[in-house]
Amino acid sequence: MRARNAVWWLVLLVATVFYAVPMLAMARFAFQRIPVIKLSWGNVFDKWTAAPLVDSLRNPDFHRAGLLSLGLAVATAALTVLLLVPTMTFAHLRSPRMRRFIELSSVLPFVVPAIALVIGFAAAFRDTAPIFVRSSFGMVPLLVITALPFTHRTIENGLSSLDLRTLADASRSLGAGWNRTIWTVIAPNIRGSIATASFLALTVVLGEFTIASLLLKNTLPLYLAYAQGQNPQGAFAVGLSLTALSAVFIALANRFGGTRPGSRQQR
Amino acid sequence: MSRNLVFSEVRKSFGRTVALDHFSVEVGEGELVTLLGPSGCGKSTALRVAAGFEVADGGDVRVGDESVLRKSASERNMGIVFQNYSLFPHLTVRENLEFGMRVRRIDSQVRRARVGELLDLVRLTGLEQRFPHQLSGGQQQRVALARALAVEPRVLLLDEPLSALDATVRLEVREEIRRIQRDSGIATLFVTHDQEEALAISDRVCVMSQGRVEQVGSPQAVYRYPNNPFVARFVGRVNDMAVTVVSTGVAVLQGGAAKFAVPPIGITSGEARLLLRPEDVRLTSPHRGATALGIVDSVHFGGATTSVDVELKEGGHMVRVTDATREMTCAVGEEVGVVFDTERALLTREA
Ligand SMILES: Nc1ncnc2c1ncn2[C@@H]1O[C@H](COP(=O)(O)OP(=O)(O)OP(=O)(O)O)[C@@H](O)[C@H]1O
Ligand SMILES: [Mg+2]
Repeated sequence: MRARNAVWWLVLLVATVFYAVPMLAMARFAFQRIPVIKLSWGNVFDKWTAAPLVDSLRNPDFHRAGLLSLGLAVATAALTVLLLVPTMTFAHLRSPRMRRFIELSSVLPFVVPAIALVIGFAAAFRDTAPIFVRSSFGMVPLLVITALPFTHRTIENGLSSLDLRTLADASRSLGAGWNRTIWTVIAPNIRGSIATASFLALTVVLGEFTIASLLLKNTLPLYLAYAQGQNPQGAFAVGLSLTALSAVFIALANRFGGTRPGSRQQR
Repeated sequence: MSRNLVFSEVRKSFGRTVALDHFSVEVGEGELVTLLGPSGCGKSTALRVAAGFEVADGGDVRVGDESVLRKSASERNMGIVFQNYSLFPHLTVRENLEFGMRVRRIDSQVRRARVGELLDLVRLTGLEQRFPHQLSGGQQQRVALARALAVEPRVLLLDEPLSALDATVRLEVREEIRRIQRDSGIATLFVTHDQEEALAISDRVCVMSQGRVEQVGSPQAVYRYPNNPFVARFVGRVNDMAVTVVSTGVAVLQGGAAKFAVPPIGITSGEARLLLRPEDVRLTSPHRGATALGIVDSVHFGGATTSVDVELKEGGHMVRVTDATREMTCAVGEEVGVVFDTERALLTREA
């Protein structure tokens, strides 16, 4: 028992060091007004400044990239919810086979590399429907697919925790059509899962590189990669802040996902 | 327009399972009919076909003179109460009751007044701000009933609405349902597998087995004059004894010798089973006029009635005797006689 505990602590310690050391190094590089060559344990607490971040945030190129990424993230989250909630509800109610099929296809992004996905996508639509390749928002469907392994699982958990059949039957017997049933009865009861799925989609999109790069879209990660050459300190400052923001999203997602609607603790 | 609910020759299979086999029954206007039968006999399926949740393979379901099978569930205007708690967990009692009215775009003043009336009706005034998880099971089912009535449905369908409740609450809600149903005069189909519940609440009982109707009739008729052995065995308690019919209208217990009269119809010779209600058996002193002799095995005092189990000396049959009219005083181990009153007994070859 004790030995196992010790191993557990050791693993935790190693993992923490593995993640924390580079983060700390990044933070020092980005936010201390000290040349890299002079950084040492002796000046850990000296000359901290937010200036590199603030300067970068003032850069109009950053604004453009940031807004684009944010727009893509919101669009992806919205499309994910609009597609998944009704489709998966129907699969639960009508067809176990369809449910398994959706489950399988949701992990495709783990199997098919993003690069294959984009090349196929571009080749298929360049001539048939060029809007998908030219317009920045044309890549939203690809982003939805990329986030699918995370978002599908979350919605699936939400739906499984409900007595879907009874809720849907009750709603329909009271005169509500399918649309109303899904958005005013089922969705509110899995709002925790929907919030979690949306945050996960946001996080995935804010970090997505391959697709944007191959489609030549100037999203935030691309801008950062480019800015790293121009102004490494500023790029690191922004990158680190984004990481922190993602962590906040995930924490929020956990918080929302943790309390099930209708559970006693909630009110 | 009359508001009765009619199933005619409805068929429904799930793969190889036949859930409804030419199922026909009528629920008259203002009438409460129960579907009674063992688990899996197709009761819920019948209700779900009427409600539009399942599509029938054949036959017709009509409300008044209009077939409903072509309409979707949301257009049928039937009030339904489910076995599982079905209130919307994210809405308060008031919002649950208003749901159907909102769908119908009923004006908020009218909604408010109607919610008040409904809560009065199910005696839950004052609970409109509660969420379902803040209600007891009995209260939840009463709200579910009120919600079903809120849309002024043409018929009411109840699928074992009491089975999640414990005994006392069950009785209370059952009487509530009956009172409200009588007052509103709405045709109601009530599904249950509890024969006591069915006998107590119904105008008529429809006994089902394996997707077929075995008998439809008043509770008294189904209990006193079962059409067939299945109904006799399923509704109420019955003494089920092996006998040999020696000639038309005369039988002996297997392993015994004393002859007694049996209904002179159907089986006129050979081995058979005699189905006899406990109240059609009388206890006597051991000697005079007894059909058989036995030893008292156990006595069950039930308040208004007392039941006695007697083990017969001939053939070792166990016979239950229930006598509501007279107090039965006998002790375990005592020797007694029993008399069969076989006027309403059934003879059958089915084991
Ligand atoms: N969706 C379904 N898919 C496959 N088989 C089903 C389905 N629904 C019902 N059945 C089958 O049809 C038969 C009748 O089921 P039904 O639910 O109507 O029984 P029931 O009389 O309501 O029983 P219970 O008292 O247990 O509720 C059963 O054999 C059941 O297994
Ligand atoms: Mg059932």
